[in-house]
Parts: sequence; structure tokens; C-alpha cells
Amino acid sequence: MKEHALIRGAILVFWTLFWGLSVVDKIVPDVQHLWVGKDFFALFVKFFASLGLKDPLFATVALAGVSGLEAINFTLYAVAALAFFRGDGPRSEVWFFRGVFTSMGLFALFSIADQVFGDRFQLLEHGLFWAILLASWVVFKFFASPSERRLELGNVRMALGIGMLLTLATSWSIRDFSASTFGQASAPVEGVEVVEGVWKFDFPFLADKLVWEQTVNAFEEAHPELEITYIYTGPSELNSKKKTHLLLYVFVEPR
Amino acid sequence: MVSSTRWLKSGILAYWALFWLLNVVDKMVGGAHFLWVGRDRFAQFQKYFASAGLDAPLVADAGLIVAAALEAFALVFCAGAWFHFMRQNEDKARNWFLIGVLTTLGTFTFFSIGDHLFGDRFELLEHTLFWFITVLSWIAFTRLEDADLALPLRKVPGGAVVLAVVLVAATTASIFSYNENFFHRRTSALEAEQVGDHLYKVSFPFLGGSTVFEESIRLFKETHPEETIDHIYTVPKPLRLKKADALIFYISTNDAP
Repeated sequence: MKEHALIRGAILVFWTLFWGLSVVDKIVPDVQHLWVGKDFFALFVKFFASLGLKDPLFATVALAGVSGLEAINFTLYAVAALAFFRGDGPRSEVWFFRGVFTSMGLFALFSIADQVFGDRFQLLEHGLFWAILLASWVVFKFFASPSERRLELGNVRMALGIGMLLTLATSWSIRDFSASTFGQASAPVEGVEVVEGVWKFDFPFLADKLVWEQTVNAFEEAHPELEITYIYTGPSELNSKKKTHLLLYVFVEPR
Repeated sequence: MVSSTRWLKSGILAYWALFWLLNVVDKMVGGAHFLWVGRDRFAQFQKYFASAGLDAPLVADAGLIVAAALEAFALVFCAGAWFHFMRQNEDKARNWFLIGVLTTLGTFTFFSIGDHLFGDRFELLEHTLFWFITVLSWIAFTRLEDADLALPLRKVPGGAVVLAVVLVAATTASIFSYNENFFHRRTSALEAEQVGDHLYKVSFPFLGGSTVFEESIRLFKETHPEETIDHIYTVPKPLRLKKADALIFYISTNDAP
């Protein structure tokens, strides 16, 4: 296969999936089994409410408009990808250009909204996506095409063997780590009395609210002579070591 | 005469080979250890899949193994390309790097699908940026073949050497001096300042962490035996107006019984 066709294919697959999944995210509301996604409706409602437009109709109309544009956008990429995989390069190029141009328009629209709503982080995010889209088109059109070189790998048996060995080694390590740490997702955390009457609990990365509940219950069972008077969640500034996830301090007094 | 294009191409291959090597090592090491913290990807994948209703650790393991396999093959082909490049086998290096680039693009595309599914927009931006940097690396690598830019090794002016030495000495002295005079802030207890009735303020230095917090609480309890801590209020970031403000918390107390 030609080098430029491989790069073009990778670009088309990425953007087709990007927009396809964005559309799915708009179709699937809220959090569902097998799909979490982002709650754009809540985001839009908050944005419009901050402008003084509290009626959910504004957010609904805006989100429906954006979703419609994204669906059209995805269709353009899907046609481009289809044409590409059928070997129709010129047609694929035309449709990819239409897709890129529409997407850039969409990101420009998002950027305008980010400025109106004062969300500078999203402005940066959308600005970067806009620039990557533009650059993707430049690469697709002008940089990939001159190369007519074909990919000739020769004998890669050794590379495949090393790759398989590395995969096996990492798989074993992942399974081993998973087996030895999965218990942390539900097991209570052991506390350490750091100051008289103050216990510290260093929560692991896997811990969530269930671990918190288990920890407090286990502590009360283990120390019936103590009464919990106050629980303080250590702010992130206290986690100066990168491997610390969450610090919890429990203040106690004798019963 | 050294060709600058050769240095740059070698730099591109070295970057991606090391990038994937360290990612694979991170998967193999698992968890935080002495001299290696890394990222707990298992916890991240487990939380992602659990949020989608797939609690079984096997699912997170499978997702992580697919990612690790893609990374392992990206490493093999990028490192292989670097190896061939160093042996002056340009054609092989280019072919191997192309496979490395395609595997890398596949890996970031795979991650991006996950980011959409789990609604992590920050990671989506991060992976899209890496995806694009990969494409850019390929373009730079192949285009540099057409350019043969000589890198003449001229004598470095004496003034530049002196300036560099002075600046290195000044920064080194400053850093060592700061370490000598202020490292105690990493562990020393802080005095609580009374700002109201039964209300005390503790302002952290930037170096302060959990040890400073614990030592400060110990000191407070020792110096105020007539009071008991009722609760601690952490000043939220929006209220810390000065850029130099680190963590600030207030201790609210009651009279001891």
C-alpha cells in the first residue's frame, strides 16, 4: 500500500470516529449502561442561565442546533471515508474538505459561545481542535500526496515476536497488579494516629465513596472507646507526593 | 560537516522510541514504587468502566491489555526505525517508522474512542494533540529527506561562554541557598494566628504538605490545651486573592470540658 494512502486513511478514520461518537453522545442522554459521555444538556442549561436565559427551551434549541450540525458534519466524513475505502481518492478529498470546512465552522461557533459565556478553558480546547482540523486538511491535501512510495517492510518476524513478548509481559503484569489491588476498591483503609486524637487515612486511587463508608464503619468497630467528632478532607495542596490520592483526617475524643 | 537533518530525524525517532518505552515500562511496573511513580492506569480504567456499568476488573484488564499491546508494537517499530536509522539504513528506517506512526495513530484513536465513551473531554484534547503531533512527526521526518541543511560547527564566542557560566553559577547558588535556608518549611510546624474568638488562621508555605499540617495540629493542641478543635475550614481557591497565597485554613475551637 502507498504511504500517503495509509496516512490519509488514518486521518479519515480518526475524524470520522470523532464526529460519529460526538453524535452518539448527543443521542444517548445522561449516563447509561456502557455509555457515560458528557452531559451537554446540563452544560448548556448552566451557560444560558448565566446569561439570564433560565428557560430550558433556549438550551434545548441550542443543543438541538449544534447536534444537527454535528450530524451533518459526521455524514460528510462518513462519505469521505467510504469513498476512500472504495479507492475513489478525488471524491474522498472533496468530501473530506467539506467535512473539515464544516467542522471548522462548528468550532468557530463554539469559540464564539465560549467567549460569550466566558469559558476560557473551553475556548482553548476548541481553538486547538480548530487548528488541528486545519492542519489535518493541510497534511491530507498537500503533504501526504506527493509520496508514491510503497510500504515494504521486509522480514518483520523478529519485530512481531518482540512485540508479542512485550504484550505478554505487560498483560501478566496488568493481571497481577489488578488481582493484588482490586480489593482496594471496596476494602476499608487502615488509619494511623498522627497526632493524639487525630487519625490519618491515605486513600488509594481505586477508592471511592464505598471505601469511605467502609473505612468509617471499620474504624468505629475497631475503636469503640473513641467518638468521631469531626472528619476533615485534606485539600489537594496536602497531597504533595504524587502517589497520594486523597487524605482524610478523623478527629476523635474518648467516649 | 554534520547534517542538521540527520540530527533532527534521529531526534524524532529517539523521542517516539523513548515515549513508548516509558509507557510500556509504566504498564509493567504497576503502582507507585521507590524511583517510579508513573500513572495508575488500572485504577483509571477500572473507574471508567465501572462508571459505564462494567464493574468486573476483567473488563478494565482487557481494555488495558489492548492499549498495552498497541503501545508495545508502537515501541518495537519506533525503536526498530531508530536502530535502522543509526545503521544508515534509511529506507528500512522510513518503512519501520511508518508502521510505528500508524500504530501510534491507532493507539491514540483507540484512546479517543474511550474518551468519548467515558466523557473525558480533557483526555480527548490531550490524545487529539498527541495524535496530531504524531502526524506532524511523520511529515517532518519524511520532508527532512529532501532538505540537506548543513550544520557548520563554528567557534562559540568567548563572551557567550562567560555569560553562560555566570548564569549557571548564579542559578545554582540561588537554588542551593534556598534549599539550605527554607527546606525546613517542608516539615516544620506552623504557628496558628488568632483572628477571632475561638478562631485561628494557619497559612501554609508552598513547600508545605501533609507533614506540616499534622505538625501544626500537634503544635496547636500543645499550645492550646484549654481548647478543643471543633472544625477546620479550608479557604477555597477563589478566596485566595494573592497569587502567593498557598493553602490557608482556619481552626475553629470550643472550650475544653
